[in-house]
Amino acid sequence: MPNDDARPGVSRRSLIAGALGLTAATAGGGLLSGCSGKSNAGAAAAGAGEAAPSVTLGPKLATVQYPEGYVGPVARTLKPLTTEKVTFKIVVKQDVTIGDWKTNAFTKWLEQKTGVHIEWSQIGGTDDDVMTKVNAMIAAGDIPDAFLGIGFTRSQLFLYGAQGLFTDVGQHIDAYALNLQGAMKDYPETRKLIQAPDKKIYSFPGINDCFHCRAIDGRGWLNVDWIKQVGLAMPKTTDEFREVLRAFKKADLAGNGKTIPFAGYNEAPIDPFFMNAFLYDPGEPWLVVKDGKVDVAFDKDEWREGLKYVNGLYKEGLISRDVFTADGDQLKRYGNAPGKPLIGGARSNYWGNFLDIDQKDPNARWRQYEACPPLKGPNGVQYAAWDYLTVGVEVAHLVITKKCAKPDLLVQWADAQYELEAILRGYGGPKFAWAKKGDLGINGKQAVYGFDATWNSQKNLNWGQDNPMYRSQDFRLGERVLPGDLTFEKPLYEQTKERFFPLKQPQEMQFPPVTLDQDQAAQEAELKTNLKGEVNQSFAKFLTGQLDPNDDGAWNDYKDRVSKIGVKPYLELQQAAYETYNG
Amino acid sequence: MSAGTLPPDEQRLAVGASIQDTRGDKIAMACIYTALGLFCLAILYPLVYVLSASVSNTRKVSAGEVWLWPVGFTLDAYRAIFDYKAIVSSFGNSVYYAVAGALVATVLTLLAAYPLSRKGLPGKGLIMGAFVFTMMFNGGLIPTYLVVDQLGLLNTRWAIILPTAMAVWNVIITRTYFMVTIPEELVEAGKVDGCSDFSFFWRVVLPLSKPIIAVNLLFYAVGQWNSFFNALIYLTNEHLFPLQVVLRQILIQSKVDPSQMQDTSKLLQMQELQQQLKYSLIVIGMIPPLLVYPFVQKHFVKGAMVGSLKG
Repeated sequence: MPNDDARPGVSRRSLIAGALGLTAATAGGGLLSGCSGKSNAGAAAAGAGEAAPSVTLGPKLATVQYPEGYVGPVARTLKPLTTEKVTFKIVVKQDVTIGDWKTNAFTKWLEQKTGVHIEWSQIGGTDDDVMTKVNAMIAAGDIPDAFLGIGFTRSQLFLYGAQGLFTDVGQHIDAYALNLQGAMKDYPETRKLIQAPDKKIYSFPGINDCFHCRAIDGRGWLNVDWIKQVGLAMPKTTDEFREVLRAFKKADLAGNGKTIPFAGYNEAPIDPFFMNAFLYDPGEPWLVVKDGKVDVAFDKDEWREGLKYVNGLYKEGLISRDVFTADGDQLKRYGNAPGKPLIGGARSNYWGNFLDIDQKDPNARWRQYEACPPLKGPNGVQYAAWDYLTVGVEVAHLVITKKCAKPDLLVQWADAQYELEAILRGYGGPKFAWAKKGDLGINGKQAVYGFDATWNSQKNLNWGQDNPMYRSQDFRLGERVLPGDLTFEKPLYEQTKERFFPLKQPQEMQFPPVTLDQDQAAQEAELKTNLKGEVNQSFAKFLTGQLDPNDDGAWNDYKDRVSKIGVKPYLELQQAAYETYNG
Repeated sequence: MSAGTLPPDEQRLAVGASIQDTRGDKIAMACIYTALGLFCLAILYPLVYVLSASVSNTRKVSAGEVWLWPVGFTLDAYRAIFDYKAIVSSFGNSVYYAVAGALVATVLTLLAAYPLSRKGLPGKGLIMGAFVFTMMFNGGLIPTYLVVDQLGLLNTRWAIILPTAMAVWNVIITRTYFMVTIPEELVEAGKVDGCSDFSFFWRVVLPLSKPIIAVNLLFYAVGQWNSFFNALIYLTNEHLFPLQVVLRQILIQSKVDPSQMQDTSKLLQMQELQQQLKYSLIVIGMIPPLLVYPFVQKHFVKGAMVGSLKG
């Protein structure tokens, strides 16, 4: 495959997928016969004594084009799941763009296709508000059949699951969820990522293999027009980066001494951008794995070298004064300043955080900015902190509770949402079109689908992206880009692929998303909060020179402080959880 | 009587303050006016800014070009509000809760406060004690939730109006008002003329209590207008949500986490929505209280003085 290089281990993945597929099929069959004995739905299949699943997928839609070697969801005819009228009570979040869940276009479509009627309960407010309400419901025993898109953490799922409150859907997935089984074959890590330490699965995942998201924490932007004007090139090393910022400052391209060579703001941590030139820094909570041992990055000597470097930049006035205090609005004021932008660069996830994105205007200002590649430090360290694991597979997109009388049916309902057309309607709405032969996608290969450009201003059409879904990398990159289209998705993908992907750290170095039991979780939360506070505060102090990173005393004091907070117990906790995860 | 024979204080009153302010007085007045002026500015400026920003071009706002007056006047932000049914219906709900909640709560408060203000009520201390106890202790979230659930109020408008209807603090203020303005002698005079307790309350007490009624109505209405927690906890039907719950979802839910980045289009949509609606939503959120305040404000001084004597 021509773009194998862009996909972490996918060739290995498809190899394993084949092998796993066989084992999964046999194992699934075995589980099914056990399951159908108990449940009333699978009775038909059990009769013949063969281990074939009681459900089958609808035929593939012939009109849909797939690129060669496509790995991802496939469009099929959805079959009605039930003939009798069945109603499930599901709790969701309120969202003004989703609108009334009852009248939402996707709700109607899914009900029409599956025959399953849902009675919605909507919870308003912020995510924290929603969790407050959900906890009150659970404590009061006022429990629905399922929660959709409620952000339970892995630890919460494990806690409620172990209490028997949430249904273990593992067996049901093996028996009924054929689309999801396919997705789990494409992404073999999925099962490991969604199962609790007791090997049970308490929620349906949302698989969303967002390529550019994997490099999100280390991404910063530089104005290439400015770089050209000062006669330099996109920096590759920490020294070159400093030269560029110095040149920005000297040339004062914003005018009137207002130039800010490099800015940041309080919503995007800045340490991963710089520190990965000194050591691997995945960002909060700075956990790394070295030869199977969990460790932290923030008390290493290399971290100190990084502090010296950023401190130097700040002392020269190359980093904005309010790098830790500016909020999103303030950063945008710099980026959107009338006439000329004030900032030569910024640390942010994408353009939209520091200026307005106009996708139609070919000369829009955001196009002047390009991703600054990971910098090479004085000792040759150069990592793109690549997120292999926490991006891509999310838990808790659908949680079935013990109240649900027909979990098998609800599982099939969930599985229908992993089908290609349902996915498109689920997050995008009805205004999609299948790509024609020859249409090209974001990755330059045959496109699969396209959206009417204005879809995102529509309301009440889709479910956002909190429901079960399967958006593989090929699927995401299979979105049609018309030659005249000037979306930001394409440059975001290309710059991530060219500049970050080749420099990713080995996957073994990343600390995976582990699950803690209740006591561990409480202890971990406290330690993490304290450590985060101390490390972030000290990072800010070292950067701004309130603490001098060149002073051994200041550095040792800092190391003392973090070790007193409890780096050791914190690491012991995480080590145990890490071993359980791998176990 | 000539001015010269009066004591200094009265002398000044007699000739009028404008003529003979001493230098010290002038300086003091200047300081007071400056301080109050600054204070006023500090309160007025955000109001004016929000108002201006709400009728300005959103791009000009995010570029920092708006600082006092509107730039690129447009009513798009207000027009956009009508695109979101949830916002419109929640505005109506908030008005409903504020009016209904204020009426129910004020009636309950008056009915509780008046008997407590009379000397002859048996067990008065006990009742008052029970009231005050609830100011300091309560059952907590889950038990209250269970009670509301068992009463069948969950997911109805009553869940917003009833559970926290009467505020003990307001009962105390109102009771004090009655104690001071309706003397025991008045009750006795009524009794002599054959007036029952109820008709006394209806014919004498209420007509004399307009200020405290106004204060109660305003306190409760504003309280309901600003509250979101009960709605959050007790309601799961979008059509019953008050404005504050919807505002929280749009305005506070703004943190950019990587999971949102998985869909930059959705993120962009949320950002644009927020940018466009931020200020117009704040404006419609504050207009109703602003409209009501001027009418009730004059009663405030008379009504809300706890324990101080009034002339």
